[in-house]
Amino acid sequence: MTLIVLCCAIFAIGLFGVLARKDTVAILASIEVMLGGPLLLLVGLGSAARSGATAAAGAVRVEGIALLVIVVIAAEAAVGLALLVAVARKTKSTALDELTEVKG
Amino acid sequence: MTDSIPVALFWALGAVALIGALTTVLAREVMRMALGLGAFLLALAGLFAYFGFGFLALAELFVYVGGVLILILFAIMLVHRSGEGRTELVLRDVYVPGAAALLLGVVLFRMLEPARSLVGTITAAGGPGELSRVLLGPLLAQFEVAGALLLVALVAVVVMSGGDGE
Repeated sequence: MTLIVLCCAIFAIGLFGVLARKDTVAILASIEVMLGGPLLLLVGLGSAARSGATAAAGAVRVEGIALLVIVVIAAEAAVGLALLVAVARKTKSTALDELTEVKG
Repeated sequence: MTDSIPVALFWALGAVALIGALTTVLAREVMRMALGLGAFLLALAGLFAYFGFGFLALAELFVYVGGVLILILFAIMLVHRSGEGRTELVLRDVYVPGAAALLLGVVLFRMLEPARSLVGTITAAGGPGELSRVLLGPLLAQFEVAGALLLVALVAVVVMSGGDGE
């Protein structure tokens, strides 16, 4: 119960950051916070699955899936930050409100 | 007594994660935001270890704290130059995003509430040996796709950050 509340709170805090922040670096950091909530819930549920007699293999599979999720999040962060640096180099700003053009 | 120590550890790590997340979202200075994110990610790794996933906690430390956080710090240093004065991170609005986040958080909690009976029991970890057998066995396709995704991301990052040749 506490874990579910914690994960939902982390996700909601991250979502608040994504919606409320103006700076793109802060928005990317908030996305990282958002993704932490579901990842923690996945690990918590995987840990519960370990306690079953035939669930040990399933728990290790959960660990593998969580590891792959971490890899995908790392790739997302790398591409997002590269985009951010490229845009900031061109517009001299990281404020989201000033990025009104989609032309390259 | 033996049960109270892990429970206290869970509460302590959860509190650090929440404080770190709030600092990331609310901090006005970029470096304070990065420090908050670091505390959040460290607490997340601690919670993974608490649930018995030691290898995953280590991977979280290496990939997130050692990789993503350093990447964010590099981006801050590249984008927010110190010569232009201290950059203040401002919030667009508090009430509408706060209400939206609260609403979605409550909806998510109501959706996940049936799973509460599953959470709460912790046993010994599987270890990297078993994990590697799963990654190179039933999860091989996903493992290969993740590897390909990393390669594509690496090439994309090099292309995007390479500039336009001027």
